[in-house]
Amino acid sequence: MKDKKFQFNVSDLKLSVSQVERIIGYKEGEDSGLVTGLIGEVIEEASQICSVKAEYAIFQDVRFEDRGKMIFIGNIDFDIKGIVYQQLKKSESVALFLCTAGPEISRRISNSMNEGDLLKGYVYDIVGSEIVEAAADLMQSNLEGEALNEGNKITNRYSPGYCGWDVVGQHKMFRLLNGEYCGVRLTESALMNPVKSASGIIGIGKNVKFNPYTCEMCNMKGCTYKKFRSG
Amino acid sequence: MNEILERLALCIEFGKINKTSPYPPNMKGQDGADELAKLALNEGVKPDEILENALIPAMEIVGGKYSRKEIYVPQMLMSAKAMNSALAHIKPFFQSGETKRKGKFIIGTVAGDLHDIGKNLVAMMIEGGGWEVIDLGVDAGTDKFLKAINEHPGAVIGLSALLTTTMENMKNTVSAIREKHADLKILVGGAPVTTDYCKKIGADFYSPDPQGAVNYLKQLVS
Ligand code: B12
Repeated sequence: MKDKKFQFNVSDLKLSVSQVERIIGYKEGEDSGLVTGLIGEVIEEASQICSVKAEYAIFQDVRFEDRGKMIFIGNIDFDIKGIVYQQLKKSESVALFLCTAGPEISRRISNSMNEGDLLKGYVYDIVGSEIVEAAADLMQSNLEGEALNEGNKITNRYSPGYCGWDVVGQHKMFRLLNGEYCGVRLTESALMNPVKSASGIIGIGKNVKFNPYTCEMCNMKGCTYKKFRSG
Repeated sequence: MNEILERLALCIEFGKINKTSPYPPNMKGQDGADELAKLALNEGVKPDEILENALIPAMEIVGGKYSRKEIYVPQMLMSAKAMNSALAHIKPFFQSGETKRKGKFIIGTVAGDLHDIGKNLVAMMIEGGGWEVIDLGVDAGTDKFLKAINEHPGAVIGLSALLTTTMENMKNTVSAIREKHADLKILVGGAPVTTDYCKKIGADFYSPDPQGAVNYLKQLVS
C-alpha cells in the first residue's frame, strides 16, 4: 500500500445541520430555530474558505511488545497503553494519519467572537471540529478500500491523547509524518496548529478487527459528545 | 420592582437584544435590552439598580438553566449579547466611578494552548455576574498573568487549559502567581482539569462550567 494525500471540499464531507444541532445539545424534534439557519450559513461559508487536507503514511516495519504495551514503528517506540495496544496488536502494518480543517476557520472563529458575534463564532467552532472528524472518516474509508484491495482489513483510528495514550506521543508521530503537506505544526506542548486538526494511527492486517469507538473506552466525565456518540 | 427592570430582565433571560432583533420570535417588534436599559436610565433608575436588579439576576437565571441543561450554549450567548447591549449604557458610569463592579477577573488560556471557546464562555458569564473581565487571550504565559496582576491588584484569576500537556503550564503559572501573591484567588478549568488537579497545583477552585465559577465569585464578595 502507498502513502496518500487528500484535499477535500467541505461539500465532499456531507456535513448535516442536524448533526451539528445534536452536538450543541438539541434533541430530535426540539426547537432549534435560533441556530438552524445559521448552521447552514456557516457550513456554506466554510465551504468557500476551508482547504481541508488529510494524509496518511504506511509503515510496514512494525513490532509489538506485549509487556510494555508498546508498538515500534521502525526504531521509534510508541507507548500506546493497553486499550489502543489491544486494538492494534494484530496489525501487520500501520497507517499514521493527519487531517486538518486548515487555518482559515480558526481565524473566522476568533474574528466572529471579536466582532461580538459570539453565536456565529461558536457555531463556526463546532462546524470546524465536525469538518476534521468528517475528513478523517473519508480518509479512513479510503484507506479501508485500499486495504480491502489487498485482502486486508483495518482497525478504527486512535489518537494520542485518547484512551490513555499520552498526547505527548504526537512528537514521535511528527518525526514520521512531518505535517508539511497538511500545513500542521506541532508546538512544544504537543498542540497542533491549526487547532482544528487531528492525528492518529490505524492498524492494517488480515486479522485485525474494526471496533466502533465507544465512549466507555474513555474516562472523560461530563463530555458533551458522550450522550449521542454512545447512544 | 420597577416594571422597566422586570421587562429588561426578561429580555436578557430570553436573549432579546434590541427592537429590530428577530429573536426570540415571540418578542418580535418589542423593545429589547438596549432600549429598555436606556429607558430605565432616562426614567431616573440608578445604574447600580439596573445592574443589581435586572442584569445580574437575569444572567444568574440563564447560568442556572445552562447548568441544568434546560438551555444550550446558543441561548446563553444570545442572553450575553442582550446583556452587553444593556451594559453598554452603564459603562460610562463605571468609568466615572459612579457605579462599581463586583471586582476584577483576569482570565486566559495558559501557555502553549490555543483553545479559546471555553474560556470565552466563562469570561462572558462572569462579566454577566457584574465583574470587570480582563481577557489575556490564548497562549498566555506566566509573565502575561503577572503583568496583568500588577496592573489590577486584587483581581481574581482564571486559567483555562484543554490538553494534559498544557495543564502542566497551568501548574507552573499557578506556582509563579502563588510565590508573589499568596492571597489571590485562582480558578481553573478546561476539559482535562479536575478538582483533584486543582488541589494538587494549589489553585482555589475548579468548576466544570461557567456558572460554578460565577457562584464561587459571588460568594467571595458577599
Ligand atoms: C471537539 C474536540 C476536538 C475537536 C476540536 C478541538 C477544539 N477544541 O477546537 C478536534 C476534533 C479538532 C479535536 C482534536 C484533538 N483533540 Co479533542 N476534543 C474535543 C472535545 C470532544 C470537545 C472540546 C470542546 O470544544 N468543548 C466545548 C468547550 C466549550 O468546552 P471547554 O473548552 O471544555 O470549556 C468549558 C469547560 O471546560 C469550562 N472551562 C473552560 N475553561 C475554564 C476556565 C475556568 C477558570 C473555569 C472555571 C471553567 C472553564 O467552561 C467551558 C464552558 O462550559 C473534547 C472532549 C470534551 N468533551 O471536552 C476533546 C479533547 C479536548 N480532545 C483531546 C485530544 C487528546 C485531542 C487531540 C490531541 C487528538 C489527536 N491526537 O488528534 C487533538 C488535538 C488538536 C490540536 N489542535 O492539538 C482530549 C484532551 C485531553 C488530553 N488527553 O490531553 C479531550 C479532553 C478528549 C479526551 N477524552 O481526552 N478535539
